[in-house]
Amino acid sequence: MGQAFQEAISLIVSGDHIVWQIISVTLEMTLLSSFLALLIGVPIGTWLGSATFKGRKALVIIDRAFMGLPPVVCGLFCYLLFSGVGPLRGLHLLYTVAGMVIAQIMLLLPMAVGMTESHVFALAPVIRETTKGLKIGKTRSLFLTINEGRYHIISTYLFLLGRAMAEVGAVSIVGGAIMFKTNVMTTAIMNYTSMGDFKSALALGIILLILSFALNIIGALLQGGKDK
Amino acid sequence: MIIPRIKKTYQDQLVLDFPEMEIPDGSLIAIVGPNGSGKSTLGKILAAVIKADDDCPKISSERVGYMSQQAFAFRLSVKNNLLQNKDTALSKEENEERAEELMKTLRLSELAGKNAAKLSGGQKQRMSLARILMKDYKVLILDEPTASMDSEIIPVAEALILNYQKRTNCTILLITHSLEQAGRLSEKIIQLQNGKPAV
Repeated sequence: MGQAFQEAISLIVSGDHIVWQIISVTLEMTLLSSFLALLIGVPIGTWLGSATFKGRKALVIIDRAFMGLPPVVCGLFCYLLFSGVGPLRGLHLLYTVAGMVIAQIMLLLPMAVGMTESHVFALAPVIRETTKGLKIGKTRSLFLTINEGRYHIISTYLFLLGRAMAEVGAVSIVGGAIMFKTNVMTTAIMNYTSMGDFKSALALGIILLILSFALNIIGALLQGGKDK
Repeated sequence: MIIPRIKKTYQDQLVLDFPEMEIPDGSLIAIVGPNGSGKSTLGKILAAVIKADDDCPKISSERVGYMSQQAFAFRLSVKNNLLQNKDTALSKEENEERAEELMKTLRLSELAGKNAAKLSGGQKQRMSLARILMKDYKVLILDEPTASMDSEIIPVAEALILNYQKRTNCTILLITHSLEQAGRLSEKIIQLQNGKPAV
Protein backbone atom coordinates (compact mmCIF):
# COMPACT_ATOMS: atom_id res chain seq x y z
CA MET A 1 0.00 0.00 0.00
CA GLY A 2 2.83 2.36 0.96
CA GLN A 3 4.61 1.47 -2.26
CA ALA A 4 1.45 2.18 -4.25
CA PHE A 5 1.10 5.55 -2.52
CA GLN A 6 4.71 6.39 -3.42
CA GLU A 7 4.01 5.27 -6.99
CA ALA A 8 0.92 7.51 -7.10
CA ILE A 9 2.89 10.54 -5.93
CA SER A 10 5.73 9.85 -8.35
CA LEU A 11 3.25 9.41 -11.21
CA ILE A 12 1.74 12.83 -10.51
CA VAL A 13 5.03 14.60 -9.79
CA SER A 14 6.86 13.06 -12.74
CA GLY A 15 4.16 14.45 -15.02
CA ASP A 16 3.49 11.04 -16.55
CA HIS A 17 1.55 12.03 -19.64
CA ILE A 18 -0.65 8.92 -19.61
CA VAL A 19 -1.75 9.62 -16.06
CA TRP A 20 -2.29 13.30 -16.73
CA GLN A 21 -4.29 12.47 -19.84
CA ILE A 22 -6.49 10.13 -17.78
CA ILE A 23 -6.90 12.77 -15.06
CA SER A 24 -7.74 15.41 -17.65
CA VAL A 25 -10.43 13.26 -19.36
CA THR A 26 -11.82 12.29 -15.94
CA LEU A 27 -12.08 15.92 -14.85
CA GLU A 28 -13.59 17.04 -18.16
CA MET A 29 -16.19 14.28 -18.09
CA THR A 30 -17.13 14.48 -14.39
CA LEU A 31 -17.15 18.26 -14.00
CA LEU A 32 -19.14 18.81 -17.18
CA SER A 33 -21.69 16.04 -16.63
CA SER A 34 -22.32 16.87 -12.96
CA PHE A 35 -22.62 20.61 -13.73
CA LEU A 36 -25.03 20.07 -16.64
CA ALA A 37 -27.11 17.60 -14.64
CA LEU A 38 -27.32 20.19 -11.85
CA LEU A 39 -28.16 22.99 -14.28
CA ILE A 40 -31.06 21.03 -15.75
CA GLY A 41 -32.09 19.15 -12.60
CA VAL A 42 -32.35 22.00 -10.08
CA PRO A 43 -35.06 24.01 -11.92
CA ILE A 44 -37.01 20.82 -12.65
CA GLY A 45 -36.66 19.62 -9.04
CA THR A 46 -37.65 23.04 -7.70
CA TRP A 47 -40.69 23.16 -9.93
CA LEU A 48 -41.67 19.59 -8.99
CA GLY A 49 -41.15 20.27 -5.28
CA SER A 50 -43.27 23.39 -5.24
CA ALA A 51 -46.00 22.40 -7.70
CA THR A 52 -49.40 21.22 -6.53
CA PHE A 53 -50.87 19.69 -9.70
CA LYS A 54 -52.45 16.24 -9.89
CA GLY A 55 -49.87 13.71 -10.99
CA ARG A 56 -47.00 15.38 -9.13
CA LYS A 57 -46.62 12.36 -6.90
CA ALA A 58 -46.52 10.02 -9.90
CA LEU A 59 -43.69 12.08 -11.42
CA VAL A 60 -41.80 11.97 -8.11
CA ILE A 61 -42.15 8.18 -8.00
CA ILE A 62 -40.91 7.87 -11.60
CA ASP A 63 -37.94 10.10 -10.81
CA ARG A 64 -37.07 8.07 -7.70
CA ALA A 65 -37.23 4.88 -9.74
CA PHE A 66 -34.74 6.38 -12.23
CA MET A 67 -32.46 7.39 -9.35
CA GLY A 68 -31.78 3.68 -8.98
CA LEU A 69 -31.12 3.10 -12.67
CA PRO A 70 -28.16 0.68 -12.99
CA PRO A 71 -25.29 2.47 -14.82
CA VAL A 72 -24.71 -0.49 -17.15
CA VAL A 73 -28.33 -0.35 -18.29
CA CYS A 74 -27.95 3.37 -18.95
CA GLY A 75 -24.68 2.66 -20.79
CA LEU A 76 -26.33 -0.02 -22.89
CA PHE A 77 -29.24 2.30 -23.73
CA CYS A 78 -26.82 5.06 -24.81
CA TYR A 79 -24.75 2.53 -26.76
CA LEU A 80 -27.85 1.47 -28.69
CA LEU A 81 -28.75 5.12 -29.31
CA PHE A 82 -25.29 6.12 -30.53
CA SER A 83 -24.18 2.92 -32.30
CA GLY A 84 -24.28 2.31 -36.03
CA VAL A 85 -27.86 1.01 -35.85
CA GLY A 86 -29.12 3.62 -33.37
CA PRO A 87 -31.23 6.69 -34.16
CA LEU A 88 -28.45 9.09 -33.10
CA ARG A 89 -25.68 7.36 -35.09
CA GLY A 90 -25.26 10.48 -37.25
CA LEU A 91 -23.99 12.44 -34.22
CA HIS A 92 -20.93 10.12 -33.91
CA LEU A 93 -21.09 10.14 -30.13
CA LEU A 94 -20.02 6.57 -29.49
CA TYR A 95 -16.52 6.30 -27.95
CA THR A 96 -16.33 10.06 -27.36
CA VAL A 97 -16.17 12.14 -24.18
CA ALA A 98 -19.37 13.92 -25.30
CA GLY A 99 -21.15 10.56 -25.46
CA MET A 100 -19.88 9.69 -21.98
CA VAL A 101 -21.09 13.06 -20.67
CA ILE A 102 -24.57 12.41 -22.09
CA ALA A 103 -24.68 8.96 -20.47
CA GLN A 104 -23.57 10.45 -17.15
CA ILE A 105 -26.21 13.20 -17.38
CA MET A 106 -28.87 10.54 -17.91
CA LEU A 107 -27.68 8.85 -14.73
CA LEU A 108 -27.24 12.00 -12.65
CA LEU A 109 -30.28 14.01 -13.74
CA PRO A 110 -32.87 11.98 -11.77
CA MET A 111 -30.64 12.36 -8.69
CA ALA A 112 -30.37 16.15 -9.13
CA VAL A 113 -34.15 16.37 -9.61
CA GLY A 114 -34.94 14.05 -6.69
CA MET A 115 -32.58 15.68 -4.19
CA THR A 116 -33.81 19.17 -5.09
CA GLU A 117 -37.46 18.10 -5.05
CA SER A 118 -37.26 16.59 -1.56
CA HIS A 119 -35.51 19.72 -0.22
CA VAL A 120 -37.93 22.17 -1.85
CA PHE A 121 -41.02 20.16 -0.92
CA ALA A 122 -40.45 20.94 2.78
CA LEU A 123 -40.04 24.67 2.11
CA ALA A 124 -42.69 25.03 -0.58
CA PRO A 125 -45.85 25.78 1.48
CA VAL A 126 -44.42 28.79 3.29
CA ILE A 127 -42.67 30.15 0.17
CA ARG A 128 -45.87 29.68 -1.85
CA GLU A 129 -47.91 31.49 0.80
CA THR A 130 -45.46 34.39 0.80
CA THR A 131 -45.04 34.72 -2.97
CA LYS A 132 -48.79 34.41 -3.58
CA GLY A 133 -49.48 36.93 -0.82
CA LEU A 134 -47.05 39.36 -2.43
CA LYS A 135 -48.39 38.53 -5.93
CA ILE A 136 -44.92 37.56 -7.15
CA GLY A 137 -45.06 35.93 -10.60
CA LYS A 138 -44.32 32.25 -11.20
CA THR A 139 -40.91 32.74 -12.84
CA ARG A 140 -39.59 35.01 -10.09
CA SER A 141 -41.07 32.65 -7.47
CA LEU A 142 -39.10 29.81 -9.06
CA PHE A 143 -35.85 31.82 -8.90
CA LEU A 144 -36.52 32.82 -5.29
CA THR A 145 -37.21 29.20 -4.39
CA ILE A 146 -33.98 28.07 -6.11
CA ASN A 147 -32.14 30.78 -4.16
CA GLU A 148 -33.57 29.42 -0.89
CA GLY A 149 -31.88 26.10 -1.58
CA ARG A 150 -28.50 27.44 -2.70
CA TYR A 151 -26.52 25.70 0.08
CA HIS A 152 -28.33 22.50 -0.69
CA ILE A 153 -27.42 22.94 -4.37
CA ILE A 154 -23.72 22.84 -3.46
CA SER A 155 -24.26 19.62 -1.47
CA THR A 156 -26.19 18.17 -4.39
CA TYR A 157 -23.39 19.13 -6.78
CA LEU A 158 -20.76 17.47 -4.60
CA PHE A 159 -22.89 14.33 -4.46
CA LEU A 160 -23.29 14.31 -8.26
CA LEU A 161 -19.59 14.90 -8.72
CA GLY A 162 -18.78 11.98 -6.45
CA ARG A 163 -21.18 9.75 -8.33
CA ALA A 164 -19.76 10.83 -11.69
CA MET A 165 -16.21 10.16 -10.55
CA ALA A 166 -17.01 6.73 -9.14
CA GLU A 167 -19.05 5.63 -12.16
CA VAL A 168 -17.60 2.93 -14.36
CA GLY A 169 -20.37 0.88 -16.01
CA ALA A 170 -21.91 3.45 -18.35
CA VAL A 171 -18.69 5.25 -19.26
CA SER A 172 -16.88 2.03 -20.16
CA ILE A 173 -19.72 0.92 -22.47
CA VAL A 174 -20.21 4.32 -24.13
CA GLY A 175 -16.59 5.50 -24.00
CA GLY A 176 -14.87 2.20 -24.64
CA ALA A 177 -11.95 3.17 -22.35
CA ILE A 178 -9.80 4.18 -25.31
CA MET A 179 -6.34 5.27 -24.22
CA PHE A 180 -5.65 9.00 -24.81
CA LYS A 181 -9.31 9.54 -25.73
CA THR A 182 -11.98 8.19 -23.41
CA ASN A 183 -10.07 6.37 -20.70
CA VAL A 184 -11.01 7.76 -17.29
CA MET A 185 -9.65 6.85 -13.84
CA THR A 186 -12.21 4.15 -13.09
CA THR A 187 -11.95 2.44 -16.46
CA ALA A 188 -8.14 2.69 -16.34
CA ILE A 189 -8.14 1.06 -12.88
CA MET A 190 -10.26 -1.75 -14.31
CA ASN A 191 -7.90 -2.17 -17.25
CA TYR A 192 -4.75 -2.18 -15.10
CA THR A 193 -6.36 -4.67 -12.70
CA SER A 194 -7.33 -7.02 -15.54
CA MET A 195 -3.75 -6.80 -16.86
CA GLY A 196 -2.41 -7.68 -13.41
CA ASP A 197 -0.70 -4.29 -12.96
CA PHE A 198 -2.00 -3.79 -9.43
CA LYS A 199 0.57 -1.16 -8.54
CA SER A 200 -0.60 1.22 -11.26
CA ALA A 201 -4.26 0.42 -10.54
CA LEU A 202 -3.77 1.19 -6.85
CA ALA A 203 -1.81 4.34 -7.67
CA LEU A 204 -4.64 5.57 -9.89
CA GLY A 205 -7.13 4.69 -7.14
CA ILE A 206 -5.19 6.85 -4.71
CA ILE A 207 -5.04 9.73 -7.22
CA LEU A 208 -8.82 9.39 -7.68
CA LEU A 209 -9.30 9.60 -3.92
CA ILE A 210 -7.02 12.65 -3.64
CA LEU A 211 -8.90 14.31 -6.50
CA SER A 212 -12.24 13.55 -4.89
CA PHE A 213 -11.03 14.93 -1.54
CA ALA A 214 -9.67 18.09 -3.17
CA LEU A 215 -12.92 18.81 -5.04
CA ASN A 216 -14.99 18.15 -1.91
CA ILE A 217 -12.81 20.47 0.16
CA ILE A 218 -13.26 23.22 -2.45
CA GLY A 219 -17.02 22.58 -2.38
CA ALA A 220 -17.13 22.67 1.42
CA LEU A 221 -15.15 25.93 1.46
CA LEU A 222 -17.55 27.42 -1.07
CA GLN A 223 -20.51 26.30 1.03
CA GLY A 224 -18.96 27.70 4.21
CA GLY A 225 -18.18 30.99 2.50
CA LYS A 226 -21.73 31.40 1.25
CA ASP A 227 -23.18 30.58 4.66
CA LYS A 228 -21.82 33.80 6.20
CA MET B 1 -66.07 45.68 -1.09
CA ILE B 2 -68.37 42.68 -1.06
CA ILE B 3 -67.06 39.43 0.33
CA PRO B 4 -69.05 36.58 -1.26
CA ARG B 5 -70.12 33.55 0.72
CA ILE B 6 -67.00 31.51 1.32
CA LYS B 7 -66.82 27.88 2.34
CA LYS B 8 -63.75 25.77 2.89
CA THR B 9 -63.69 22.07 3.60
CA TYR B 10 -60.61 20.15 4.71
CA GLN B 11 -60.83 16.37 4.72
CA ASP B 12 -64.64 16.38 4.73
CA GLN B 13 -64.76 18.86 7.59
CA LEU B 14 -66.22 22.31 7.03
CA VAL B 15 -63.67 24.68 8.60
CA LEU B 16 -65.04 27.94 7.22
CA ASP B 17 -68.56 29.04 6.35
CA PHE B 18 -68.44 32.79 5.98
CA PRO B 19 -71.62 34.56 4.81
CA GLU B 20 -71.72 37.24 2.12
CA MET B 21 -70.73 40.51 3.70
CA GLU B 22 -70.31 44.09 2.56
CA ILE B 23 -67.33 45.97 3.90
CA PRO B 24 -67.11 49.73 3.35
CA ASP B 25 -64.18 50.69 1.13
CA GLY B 26 -61.33 52.25 3.04
CA SER B 27 -62.32 50.76 6.37
CA LEU B 28 -60.22 48.77 8.81
CA ILE B 29 -61.97 45.62 9.92
CA ALA B 30 -60.55 43.29 12.54
CA ILE B 31 -61.20 39.57 12.41
CA VAL B 32 -60.71 37.97 15.78
CA GLY B 33 -61.24 34.52 17.17
CA PRO B 34 -59.52 31.65 18.92
CA ASN B 35 -56.96 29.40 17.25
CA GLY B 36 -58.54 27.22 14.57
CA SER B 37 -61.55 29.48 14.16
CA GLY B 38 -60.81 29.99 10.46
CA LYS B 39 -59.37 33.54 10.56
CA SER B 40 -56.24 32.77 8.56
CA THR B 41 -58.12 30.50 6.15
CA LEU B 42 -60.51 33.38 5.41
CA GLY B 43 -57.59 35.77 4.84
CA LYS B 44 -55.76 33.34 2.56
CA ILE B 45 -58.89 32.70 0.47
CA LEU B 46 -59.58 36.43 0.08
CA ALA B 47 -55.97 36.92 -1.10
CA ALA B 48 -56.22 33.88 -3.44
CA VAL B 49 -53.37 32.18 -1.60
CA ILE B 50 -55.60 29.13 -1.24
CA LYS B 51 -58.83 28.25 -2.99
CA ALA B 52 -62.30 28.15 -1.50
CA ASP B 53 -64.54 25.13 -2.13
CA ASP B 54 -65.43 24.56 -5.77
CA ASP B 55 -69.03 25.73 -5.40
CA CYS B 56 -67.97 29.18 -4.12
CA PRO B 57 -67.79 32.18 -6.47
CA LYS B 58 -64.35 33.06 -7.77
CA ILE B 59 -62.73 35.85 -5.78
CA SER B 60 -60.80 38.53 -7.59
CA SER B 61 -57.49 39.03 -5.82
CA GLU B 62 -56.31 41.88 -8.01
CA ARG B 63 -54.46 44.43 -5.87
CA VAL B 64 -55.06 42.37 -2.73
CA GLY B 65 -51.96 41.99 -0.56
CA TYR B 66 -51.56 39.35 2.12
CA MET B 67 -49.04 39.27 4.92
CA SER B 68 -48.73 35.76 6.25
CA GLN B 69 -48.43 35.19 9.97
CA GLN B 70 -45.40 32.99 9.25
CA ALA B 71 -43.23 36.03 8.32
CA PHE B 72 -41.06 34.20 5.84
CA ALA B 73 -37.82 35.93 4.88
CA PHE B 74 -36.18 35.20 1.55
CA ARG B 75 -32.47 34.37 1.75
CA LEU B 76 -31.62 37.87 0.57
CA SER B 77 -30.65 41.05 2.38
CA VAL B 78 -33.40 42.78 4.36
CA LYS B 79 -33.50 45.61 1.82
CA ASN B 80 -33.70 43.17 -1.09
CA ASN B 81 -36.57 41.40 0.63
CA LEU B 82 -38.47 44.67 0.68
CA LEU B 83 -37.63 45.35 -2.95
CA GLN B 84 -39.13 42.00 -3.96
CA ASN B 85 -42.45 43.76 -3.42
CA LYS B 86 -41.59 46.98 -5.20
CA ASP B 87 -44.40 49.12 -6.52
CA THR B 88 -44.24 49.04 -10.31
CA ALA B 89 -45.95 52.44 -10.46
CA LEU B 90 -42.89 53.98 -8.80
CA SER B 91 -39.37 54.51 -10.10
CA LYS B 92 -36.39 52.52 -8.80
CA GLU B 93 -35.28 55.50 -6.71
CA GLU B 94 -38.77 56.01 -5.27
CA ASN B 95 -38.99 52.34 -4.34
CA GLU B 96 -35.58 52.48 -2.68
CA GLU B 97 -36.61 55.62 -0.81
CA ARG B 98 -39.80 53.93 0.37
CA ALA B 99 -37.81 50.88 1.51
CA GLU B 100 -35.39 53.10 3.46
CA GLU B 101 -38.28 54.95 5.13
CA LEU B 102 -40.05 51.75 6.14
CA MET B 103 -36.82 50.24 7.47
CA LYS B 104 -36.14 53.40 9.46
CA THR B 105 -39.63 53.42 10.98
CA LEU B 106 -39.48 49.76 11.92
CA ARG B 107 -35.88 50.05 13.19
CA LEU B 108 -34.42 47.82 10.52
CA SER B 109 -31.99 50.30 8.96
CA GLU B 110 -28.97 48.80 10.68
CA LEU B 111 -29.98 45.37 9.41
CA ALA B 112 -30.55 46.49 5.80
CA GLY B 113 -27.61 44.53 4.40
CA LYS B 114 -28.01 41.48 6.63
CA ASN B 115 -29.28 38.12 5.35
CA ALA B 116 -32.95 38.29 6.32
CA ALA B 117 -33.16 34.52 6.80
CA LYS B 118 -30.90 34.97 9.84
CA LEU B 119 -33.09 37.52 11.61
CA SER B 120 -34.93 36.73 14.83
CA GLY B 121 -38.66 36.00 14.71
CA GLY B 122 -39.60 39.55 15.74
CA GLN B 123 -37.19 41.12 13.26
CA LYS B 124 -38.55 38.90 10.48
CA GLN B 125 -42.05 40.06 11.29
CA ARG B 126 -41.00 43.71 11.15
CA MET B 127 -39.30 43.03 7.81
CA SER B 128 -42.39 41.22 6.59
CA LEU B 129 -44.65 44.15 7.55
CA ALA B 130 -42.29 46.61 5.87
CA ARG B 131 -42.23 44.41 2.75
CA ILE B 132 -46.02 44.23 2.38
CA LEU B 133 -46.33 48.00 2.89
CA MET B 134 -43.98 48.66 -0.06
CA LYS B 135 -46.89 48.45 -2.49
CA ASP B 136 -50.19 50.36 -2.58
CA TYR B 137 -53.04 47.88 -2.40
CA LYS B 138 -56.78 48.19 -2.73
CA VAL B 139 -57.28 45.56 -0.03
CA LEU B 140 -54.61 44.57 2.48
CA ILE B 141 -54.92 41.50 4.66
CA LEU B 142 -52.59 41.40 7.64
CA ASP B 143 -52.47 38.08 9.46
CA GLU B 144 -51.22 38.59 13.04
CA PRO B 145 -48.82 41.34 11.88
CA THR B 146 -47.42 42.08 15.33
CA ALA B 147 -47.71 38.73 17.13
CA SER B 148 -43.94 38.17 17.52
CA MET B 149 -42.89 41.80 17.89
CA ASP B 150 -41.44 43.31 21.06
CA SER B 151 -43.99 45.30 23.04
CA GLU B 152 -42.23 48.65 22.45
CA ILE B 153 -42.34 48.31 18.66
CA ILE B 154 -46.02 47.30 18.47
CA PRO B 155 -47.36 50.91 18.76
CA VAL B 156 -44.91 51.95 16.02
CA ALA B 157 -46.13 49.14 13.75
CA GLU B 158 -49.77 49.97 14.48
CA ALA B 159 -49.22 53.65 13.70
CA LEU B 160 -47.51 52.65 10.47
CA ILE B 161 -50.51 50.51 9.46
CA LEU B 162 -52.91 53.36 10.20
CA ASN B 163 -50.76 55.86 8.26
CA TYR B 164 -50.59 53.47 5.32
CA GLN B 165 -54.37 53.18 5.29
CA LYS B 166 -54.75 56.95 5.48
CA ARG B 167 -52.31 57.45 2.59
CA THR B 168 -53.67 54.73 0.28
CA ASN B 169 -57.31 54.70 1.43
CA CYS B 170 -57.26 50.91 1.15
CA THR B 171 -59.47 48.46 2.99
CA ILE B 172 -57.56 46.58 5.66
CA LEU B 173 -58.58 43.27 7.15
CA LEU B 174 -56.61 42.78 10.33
CA ILE B 175 -56.54 39.19 11.55
CA THR B 176 -55.57 39.11 15.19
CA HIS B 177 -56.07 37.09 18.32
CA SER B 178 -55.79 40.26 20.40
CA LEU B 179 -59.11 41.91 21.17
CA GLU B 180 -57.21 44.91 22.58
CA GLN B 181 -55.41 45.46 19.29
CA ALA B 182 -58.63 44.98 17.35
CA GLY B 183 -60.30 47.59 19.56
CA ARG B 184 -57.43 50.04 19.18
CA LEU B 185 -57.21 49.91 15.39
CA SER B 186 -60.47 48.82 13.82
CA GLU B 187 -63.82 50.37 13.11
CA LYS B 188 -65.59 47.04 13.23
CA ILE B 189 -64.76 43.66 14.74
CA ILE B 190 -65.87 40.36 13.27
CA GLN B 191 -65.55 37.50 15.71
CA LEU B 192 -65.11 34.09 14.19
CA GLN B 193 -66.09 30.92 16.01
CA ASN B 194 -65.79 27.50 14.42
CA GLY B 195 -65.49 29.06 10.98
CA LYS B 196 -68.59 31.26 11.32
CA PRO B 197 -69.09 34.84 12.49
CA ALA B 198 -70.30 34.73 16.08
CA VAL B 199 -73.70 36.28 16.57
